[in-house]
Amino acid sequence: MKKTISIIVLGILFIASIGAVMSSSEWSDREEERYEKQSESDDHEHGLFRGAWLDSRADVRPVENETYQSECGGCHFAYQAGLLPGQDWQRIMDALVEHYGDDATLDELQAAEIRGYLLDNAADSSTLSRARAFSVGSDAGDALPRITNTRYFQREHYEIPKRVVRGNAEVGSFSNCQACHRTADAGIYNEHQVVIPGFGKWDD
Amino acid sequence: MNINITFAIAGLVATSMAYGSAVNLIEGYRNAGAGPFSSDAGGSAWTRQHQSSSGEDTRSCSSCHGTDITQPGRHIGTGKPIEPMAISMNSARLNDPEKVEKWFRRNCRWTLGRECAAQEKGDFIQFMTSQ
Amino acid sequence: MHETILHSHDNIHQPKANMVRVWDPLLRLFHWSLAGSFAIAYVTEDDLLALHVWAGYLILGLIMIRVLWGFVGPRYSRWSDFVKQPTEIFTYLKAVIQSRAARHLGHNPAGGAMVVALMLSLLFTGFTGLAVYGAQELSGPMAPLFGGLSEGWAHALEDIHEVLANLTLLLVLLHLVGVALASLQHRENLVSAMITGLKRSGIE
Repeated sequence: MKKTISIIVLGILFIASIGAVMSSSEWSDREEERYEKQSESDDHEHGLFRGAWLDSRADVRPVENETYQSECGGCHFAYQAGLLPGQDWQRIMDALVEHYGDDATLDELQAAEIRGYLLDNAADSSTLSRARAFSVGSDAGDALPRITNTRYFQREHYEIPKRVVRGNAEVGSFSNCQACHRTADAGIYNEHQVVIPGFGKWDD
Repeated sequence: MNINITFAIAGLVATSMAYGSAVNLIEGYRNAGAGPFSSDAGGSAWTRQHQSSSGEDTRSCSSCHGTDITQPGRHIGTGKPIEPMAISMNSARLNDPEKVEKWFRRNCRWTLGRECAAQEKGDFIQFMTSQ
Repeated sequence: MHETILHSHDNIHQPKANMVRVWDPLLRLFHWSLAGSFAIAYVTEDDLLALHVWAGYLILGLIMIRVLWGFVGPRYSRWSDFVKQPTEIFTYLKAVIQSRAARHLGHNPAGGAMVVALMLSLLFTGFTGLAVYGAQELSGPMAPLFGGLSEGWAHALEDIHEVLANLTLLLVLLHLVGVALASLQHRENLVSAMITGLKRSGIE
């Protein structure tokens, strides 16, 4: 009996290590080779067991506050409150006059409403595990907080070559969520719904 | 046939409301002592370059809104598309005076480093309604 | 010679005279719950993460129970009944190919090996899943331990988890082939046997 079990365990470990090796070859190539330019219409065919079977539900709760949507969604994508912990939103609301290079001051009533909405729905208050993940590892540094600097964001975007975002005229920066995450305003960021302009569907 | 007439009337109403709002704003600036206003002055001020406070780059209205304001613009930092500024393309543009003042305040401060004077605002309004 | 076969239908809880109970209720419940949970986990993957994770926890729990049951349960559920030496397994497989394999009431040697393989594969898949949940999604009981791993490691774990899940699927398919083959070769319905627990009695 023991022999059989050991053989099977070794077999599984062997296959698992193949998975690890496949992954490590990605580490060396990831910046350059892996993702090639293709036309938008080329819907990359995945293998038999790849790709999404189901439509996703929201990873973070979509924006429900009108004031936030119109005041904060004017210059940039209206980032959902669940994308940062409460303490980070506080720091941003305290420094609207110097808002990442812009002046975003609001009148007092609007500011209070927005601050309340953000704190109520912040990452550390959420019941959704992906929203909560945005609050992990955040530290109160000196610089203004950035969603793109959160630990979770960096994990999720680790494999993306910079040239398809920063070097891509239609995207520009990682802060421009809905350029690639076509369902971002529904709070759905699942990788199966990612279509990068000029490159097509994200092939994991 | 009836549908076409309905659309035409709706379009006329919207357009006249848009120009009506513009007229109200102009009146406000005139009461503050500014005027006469010219769309040419507004147009040239639109593309004038200003040094940023850090001195690193120059900015103008066209940096985000483009030089042809019948076309959509793009936020220079975030890449977010911005609806055209021309009234002909966007009749609701000037309908909310509070909103107009808010964006003037924010954007003049960012671009010029100061608030815009009533004269400058009036010229900009004329420019937007002329396109 | 005249053979009389007795069929007693009056008491539905008593098997027919020529049927014998092989699979006990716990075993059957375990089997179908496991199959259902794996199906849910495979299909939801990270599109419905909460459901996927719940199915994963259920799978791990079910396997823990089954391992214990294999030591204290009735005869045909015990590890000692069906986990054989590798040589015996290969001999049996050869016999299957030659269509002269002996019929077993409990698991035959190949089936027994498949039980072990599937459970170990599911265990490894589940544990790597827990690791990914902690390292990549920064959630779950492993988050404090694995949340600080580098992005590269988090991604490697994700790939390993995926490879193992696909390995499990492959084993499931082989399992189905095996069940079909055995059913054909011994002229019995092994699927209904796993539902009712009853098999035709006979010489082992």
